[in-house]
Amino acid sequence: MSGQGQRLNVVPTVTMLGVMKARLVGATRGHALLKKKSDALTVQFRAILKKIVSTKESMGEIMRNSSFALTEAKYVAGDNIKHVVLESVKSASLRVRSRQENVAGVKLPRFEHFVDHGAGDAKSDLTGLARGGQQVQACRVAYVKAIEVLVELASLQTSFLTLDEAIKTTNRRVNALENVVKPRLENTINYIKGELDELEREDFFRLKKIQGYKKREIERQELAAKMFSEEQQAEKISLKKGISINSAHNLLEVGGGKDEDIIF
Amino acid sequence: MYGFEALTFNIHGGYLEAIVRGYRSGLLTAADYNNLCQCETLDDIKMHLSATEYGSYLQNEPSPLHTTTIVEKCTLKLVDEYKHMLCQATEPLSTFLEYITYGYMIDNAVLIVTGTLHERDVQELLEKCHPLGMFDSIATLAVAQNMRELYRLVLVDTPLAPYFSECITSEDLDDMNIEIMRNTLYKAYLEDFYNFCQKLGGATAEIMPDLLAFEADRRAVNITINSIGTELTRDERRKLYSNFGLLYPYGHEELAVCEDIDQVRSAMEKYPPYQSIFAKLSYGESQMLDKAFYEEEVKRLCLSFEQQFHYAVFFAYMRLKEQEIRNLMWISECVAQNQKSRIHDSVVFIF
Repeated sequence: MSGQGQRLNVVPTVTMLGVMKARLVGATRGHALLKKKSDALTVQFRAILKKIVSTKESMGEIMRNSSFALTEAKYVAGDNIKHVVLESVKSASLRVRSRQENVAGVKLPRFEHFVDHGAGDAKSDLTGLARGGQQVQACRVAYVKAIEVLVELASLQTSFLTLDEAIKTTNRRVNALENVVKPRLENTINYIKGELDELEREDFFRLKKIQGYKKREIERQELAAKMFSEEQQAEKISLKKGISINSAHNLLEVGGGKDEDIIF
Repeated sequence: MYGFEALTFNIHGGYLEAIVRGYRSGLLTAADYNNLCQCETLDDIKMHLSATEYGSYLQNEPSPLHTTTIVEKCTLKLVDEYKHMLCQATEPLSTFLEYITYGYMIDNAVLIVTGTLHERDVQELLEKCHPLGMFDSIATLAVAQNMRELYRLVLVDTPLAPYFSECITSEDLDDMNIEIMRNTLYKAYLEDFYNFCQKLGGATAEIMPDLLAFEADRRAVNITINSIGTELTRDERRKLYSNFGLLYPYGHEELAVCEDIDQVRSAMEKYPPYQSIFAKLSYGESQMLDKAFYEEEVKRLCLSFEQQFHYAVFFAYMRLKEQEIRNLMWISECVAQNQKSRIHDSVVFIF
């Protein structure tokens, strides 16, 4: 993977190191949390999958029963009972509404059905009054059950899809953190540490070198001082003898220089 | 003059009676039903039906057959037979035949009125009407906005006009009243038909009222059972019961106050023919009641063929054919929905 050896381009200072370390801690914690989230979502996912399978099976059965109830109603009440019922409907009395549910941080849509009594429920009670009324009501009950199952199935399936998306995103983030961000940060930290160490070494080396120079300087000075003190001793001795070696020396040397007393 | 129809009936009615008996012999038998119940797919059903009288009607259907197509084609056959008989008939047989279709007309009229009330397209509604119940001005029902207009514009020209006197009082056409309206119309129709048959005299006046009485009683029981627990008041319920039949008037009194099925059962058990029907049901169950009624009806209809020289055979034939179409619909649906185990629940064998 291309991200393995990379690091961020930063100035390798101590503050930067602190910043990088903080980020690494943040990344690690984030990684752990996301992993937990992903696990929780996967558990939910599996549960929903199981429920979907069982609901689909029951739906097959229920739809079959409701179609059969319709056939029975048609048999007893005459073939055009379907048209009679369809024509006498104004607006749906069984409705579906959706709301959001929060599951482990993911907003899942959930559908539920409710009966809208205002839409003229009671009048359909008299359908098939003279024959087939019972079958029509039974058919109604069967279809209401079918609708309930269908609504539940729809809500499960949408949750399934949404959860799937959410799990994919979370896993992508987990993997990204694990395989890209953290290594990069670690590499950057290592680089900064390396650079800092090198700087320290350089400094150290410089210090050592300067110490070496200073030491030599001091030694030289000590040597010079020693020689000077030896000369001083010699001068003192010669002075005692009446000669100033230093000044003799000095006289000769200074002779080339300007002396006010001497005219020529 | 009962007993002497043999002298004069065949002059006008002989040809058609023979025709209707011919049609009756073309009804599916138990063996046919057994074959059909063994079918696995709708194509098998089509194949079996092509060996019966329905052959020519189902031949040209394309292969992915639908249950509604089968029912449509069978109904078409019924309509063709009816029209054939109607155009050969003279008075009073032609009036009698027309009476048979008033029930369908009532259903169609109510369907169109309801549909218009809910703003549906007229053409679609016309397609959903029963073919036997069509009349010329049916499309204009869609124009009416309330009962008076409805009556004035359309219904006064149809044979349904006199039936509306009973429910012309309600001005609103909302859903509750429509179902009550439909049943009130049907009640008036039954009474009218009953009186007409009485006037015809002879064997018809013996047999038809019997059949119509059964129909009226059955409707009374159904109305009672289906209105338990709804907003229909007792008085309204009373008004929907017909003024003839075995249950009139005492049975109606009892039924009007019934509040659950067991009370209905105890009211019915005083009448021997209905007691046997209710004996087939166990306590508290009313699902099979409709099938029991159908079986009883079929039995009575078949008996009417035993006598000759009366018009009840026509009525009986139409009803039996309807039952056959119902059976076919049931069988096709069971086969199509893979519910073969339930097929024998509701097939009523005619012979």
